[in-house]
Amino acid sequence: MPGGMELKNEVLASSTCALCGACLDWCPYIANIEDHLVLRFDCNVPDGRCYAVCPRTFADWQAISKKYLPDAPENIEIGPYFKAYKVKAPIGIEGQQDGGTVSHLVKTLMEDQLAETVLLTGSDDHITPEPFLSSEISEIKKAAGSRFLASPGMRKLIEAQARNVKKFAVVGRPCQIQALRKLDYNRKPDTPAMDVISIGLFCMWSLGWDFKNYLQREFPGEEILSIAIPQHGFEVTTDKGIHEVPFEEVKKFIRKGCDYCLDMTSELADISVGAFEAEKGWNTVLIRSKKGQELFDKSVSRGFLIFEEYPEAELERLKGASIGKKMRGLSAAQEAFDRGVKPFVDLNSEMYTNVKKLAEGKVE
Amino acid sequence: MEWMIIANEPGKTYLMQGNEAIARGALEAGIRFAAAYPGSPSSEILAMLGHVAEKADIYAEWSTNETCALEACLGASFAKVRSLCIMKQNGVLTVGDALHSASLSGVRGGLVLVVADDPSAHSSTNEFDSRHQARAAAVPMLEPVNMQEAKDMVKWGYELSEQLQQLVMVRTVTRINHGRSSVTLGELPQEKPSPAVIGEWDRMVAINWFKDAQIAKLAQAQEIFEDSPFNWYKGPEDPDMIIVTCGTGWLYSSEAVESLGLKDTVGILKIGTTWPLPEKFIVKHLVKTKKVLVVEEVDPFLEQNIANIIAYHPELNIELSGRQGQKAIPRNGELNPDIVLNALTNLTGKTFARPETVVIPQEEAVALPPRELTFCAGCPHRASFFLLKQTLRIHEGQGVVMGDIGCYTMGGQRAGHFLYGFLCCMGGGINAAEGLGNLSRFGFDQPVVALAGDSTFFHSCLPGLVNAKYHDSNMLFVILDNSATAMTGFQPHPGIGLTAMGKAAEPVSIQKVVEAIGCQVTVADPFDIDGTTNTVYNLIKQPGLKVLILKQECATLAVRKREKPRVWVDQDLCRGDDCGCGRFCSRVWGCPGNIWDYEAGKAKIDEVVCVGCGVCATLCPAGAIKMEGGKADE
Amino acid sequence: MSRELVKDPLNIIICGVGGQGNILATELLASALVEKGYYATVGETYGASQRGGSVMSHVRISASTEYGVLIPLGQADIIVSFEPTDTLRVARDYANKSTLILTDSRPNYPLGVLIGEASYPSMDAIVAELEKLSGQVQVIEATNLAVEAGNSQAANILLMGALTALPSVPIDVADYNKVLEQRFSGKALELNLKVFKIGYEQIKQ
Repeated sequence: MPGGMELKNEVLASSTCALCGACLDWCPYIANIEDHLVLRFDCNVPDGRCYAVCPRTFADWQAISKKYLPDAPENIEIGPYFKAYKVKAPIGIEGQQDGGTVSHLVKTLMEDQLAETVLLTGSDDHITPEPFLSSEISEIKKAAGSRFLASPGMRKLIEAQARNVKKFAVVGRPCQIQALRKLDYNRKPDTPAMDVISIGLFCMWSLGWDFKNYLQREFPGEEILSIAIPQHGFEVTTDKGIHEVPFEEVKKFIRKGCDYCLDMTSELADISVGAFEAEKGWNTVLIRSKKGQELFDKSVSRGFLIFEEYPEAELERLKGASIGKKMRGLSAAQEAFDRGVKPFVDLNSEMYTNVKKLAEGKVE
Repeated sequence: MEWMIIANEPGKTYLMQGNEAIARGALEAGIRFAAAYPGSPSSEILAMLGHVAEKADIYAEWSTNETCALEACLGASFAKVRSLCIMKQNGVLTVGDALHSASLSGVRGGLVLVVADDPSAHSSTNEFDSRHQARAAAVPMLEPVNMQEAKDMVKWGYELSEQLQQLVMVRTVTRINHGRSSVTLGELPQEKPSPAVIGEWDRMVAINWFKDAQIAKLAQAQEIFEDSPFNWYKGPEDPDMIIVTCGTGWLYSSEAVESLGLKDTVGILKIGTTWPLPEKFIVKHLVKTKKVLVVEEVDPFLEQNIANIIAYHPELNIELSGRQGQKAIPRNGELNPDIVLNALTNLTGKTFARPETVVIPQEEAVALPPRELTFCAGCPHRASFFLLKQTLRIHEGQGVVMGDIGCYTMGGQRAGHFLYGFLCCMGGGINAAEGLGNLSRFGFDQPVVALAGDSTFFHSCLPGLVNAKYHDSNMLFVILDNSATAMTGFQPHPGIGLTAMGKAAEPVSIQKVVEAIGCQVTVADPFDIDGTTNTVYNLIKQPGLKVLILKQECATLAVRKREKPRVWVDQDLCRGDDCGCGRFCSRVWGCPGNIWDYEAGKAKIDEVVCVGCGVCATLCPAGAIKMEGGKADE
Repeated sequence: MSRELVKDPLNIIICGVGGQGNILATELLASALVEKGYYATVGETYGASQRGGSVMSHVRISASTEYGVLIPLGQADIIVSFEPTDTLRVARDYANKSTLILTDSRPNYPLGVLIGEASYPSMDAIVAELEKLSGQVQVIEATNLAVEAGNSQAANILLMGALTALPSVPIDVADYNKVLEQRFSGKALELNLKVFKIGYEQIKQ
């Protein structure tokens, strides 16, 4: 397995980095401030954990998927899943977005002791993401709501290992769940084994931290209270009022590394959660493993969540959106590989050939 | 040794360093005033004068820069007080304007300027030959061959200076300044005159009206030099060859002539008064021969001026060789006995029986790791360069760093992760950064960082900082404040609160000076790697001029003041050779205290070398480096 | 007046790494020689660094005249070194088949070794090459002995004790001790006198 210099050349310097954070903190060579993640000094370790764990270095993703999600039927559009549900929490949680499903799944993890510690991402100023490890139900509300700026939250895995956490849970973006699986798949002898359950978030992209500077420039002196995407643009609520930020403006801040992403729905998670587009106040949940099913069932039986059958039309729409993202990612990846970036997926594999075929029929 | 400098033991012989001999010579001449800016190899002179100041009843100061030092001496001279000014060869370039002006105004009390050249630039950025400055400024210059003559010349320099009413330069080189040999002491004056009253019409004014007087003084010096006991000829009356030499060349030449058995055919003309040259004296001897080899340090100064003499004297028919002629001696670099031996062998064909030596073929020789210069164990500069390098990489804006002169000049080498793109002279970094930062109007958007040490800040960065502030250059000026002029041996500077004489003084606060100029200033601790990295990152993101003071005491000084904390490696935690972090502590951090235990395949602390700063303990990703015995900065 | 020298000039090189105290040791040696009426000159080579760089002192002793401060290549009669690789570096330039070498065995790792680009040679290999280059090599565990005696920094004086024990060096214990007494007092003097004696005994054994 290659090491840090290869990570630098193939990922960091090629701008494919997803800023998952899995390479950070273990390694003294890799440093991060805001959304800059660099090799601060040249490293000569030939066999690097950084390279092994990175979601943007090559892996046999289908083999990983089969290993960790062996039971759910395969699905080329949104990854393996048993069942899709329309879900919400009947009793809300402060600051929640959409249906509050994630917060209540986390609450279930804690109450039923399915995990000792959960990796969450909060924010003190409603914009700057701050990953943290939590074992306290009272802390869940700090993580409620979406974060739009990319955050290298997987660095906290190191802290969890250091704390000798045995039963761990992660709430993360698709790239972070990929890193989580890859870490175990390419496990090194000195990496302690952890029983992990993963709650994957749907993710179209995340933003560079210059977006924060942009908001400060646009709305000087105003304190941001919340950011949401109700329909077309961003809705930024500050202490002075509500501002619309056109999506065209926001798009300028999408991280380059997100262009290469082929996974909108956290296809490697035990359970994936996203917005339910057709009706405000509901979430989409995809159950992908037995662990995910168990967590969902416990949450429902505790009365934290209620669910409905997922409308077929909505499922088709979700699959279409996912295939759309895959197609954009494939073309960006192809373009990157053409200019010399080492491939992190096999674009000629049967799976991606099928994605393309499918897209011809499904995406306008 | 200080006690030798003021020992009232005329006739007694001691082993003395050249710099001690110079200080002694000045005291024997009855100086009351001495001023200098530190610089190897000159620094010990004023340091010792400072230490003995009270007992010797003199005043000594570490001036803020060389110009301050020379002009302070001019002030003392105005009151007819004898003064000694000391600097290295770079300094004599810094004082160019003052030196050329002083030569026009002349002096009243004797003023000797000792300039210590550094051939081969052992501890300098160049090996400038300060004799060019003496010639350009029309100032008489003396050049001693050994420590005894260094003392005697400095002492006599005051008589000459007062006779001519002109300052006198004495040029030494590293081998004289830092060498040691026997010196026989002379008498110390029993009483020293008080400063004279400066009358209403007394003048020391530098203006071109006095050019004729300046030329006349030089001519008078030349006449005096014709009979100087510092010039002599030793050798046969009709030599095949004459070696003309000055400074260290005299002893090297004598040894070479002796070793090669050339005493009957090669003479040596030793010149102690290298500017202006005693023309008649030189012609009188050179007329005896057809071949001349000039042996001198650095430039072919003597050689070219002898060529000049030959051009005006048709009776001389000479084949001239030296650093220029015949390329007999390499054009740059310090002299040594082998260079002189080889030159003489090449010119005469004579060799001698060297002791039997063995040369091991390269393929059989043990591979020796080169001994690169690095920052001392615990040096705050190591932390500063580490965090600056990483911050510029994290920022990803291709920051450009402009270096300056001091210990931290090594930051341009491996010790500082090759951080510099630019290095010029004292104060050069901030000025160049000001220019570069002002290119932002044309789209130059790389962060610009200039560095300077605390002593350099006072020496030559103030005008640059005012300039950068007034023109709001886009740059970060980092002052590496280690509370010392460490490179040259810890001389105090205006920020320290101590004078050369060991007296307390109110320190000049760098922070307040910077604030008074109107700059935004941040103070941070370079040992707090993570915190200060964030500070620097946020500073370089901001437009305009920013000033950062990285404050942490020089480790070599700090360790003298406190109990050393113990730092050690818990080898059970260290990730070691196999799947570790590429020996980050010793390989990247690079402190001489962080070594590798090859048997265990784990990191280790060399507790003999370690000064207990504890920074490596904060960098180890496995938390294997432990520290006990309190925080480093307490 | 001084005794006859076995060789005139007698050339001694004292070398090591900055911070090991060889400049002081050399100065004390040369002072003792001048006190005895010899001509002694010392040339010192040290770079910009207070510590960490190679430092080499040349001592030239004569009964009749002053010599230049530098020893010509291949003409060192004795080399005393505080660091094994520096011993070899200096011996390659200055040793001849009659040169006597005293060296400490404790490595001081240069930067290239610390960062893993160069490796530090074995003491056996160093001694083997030193033996080819010179007349005689004696390894003295100066730093370790000094640590045992109370302070690693006293290794310099310990090696001076060993040097003084050599028959060709024209000073004796009393001469060096006199200079030590001139420069030091109290505990430092006590330690230096002690390690000097330990060094001296290394040769007598």
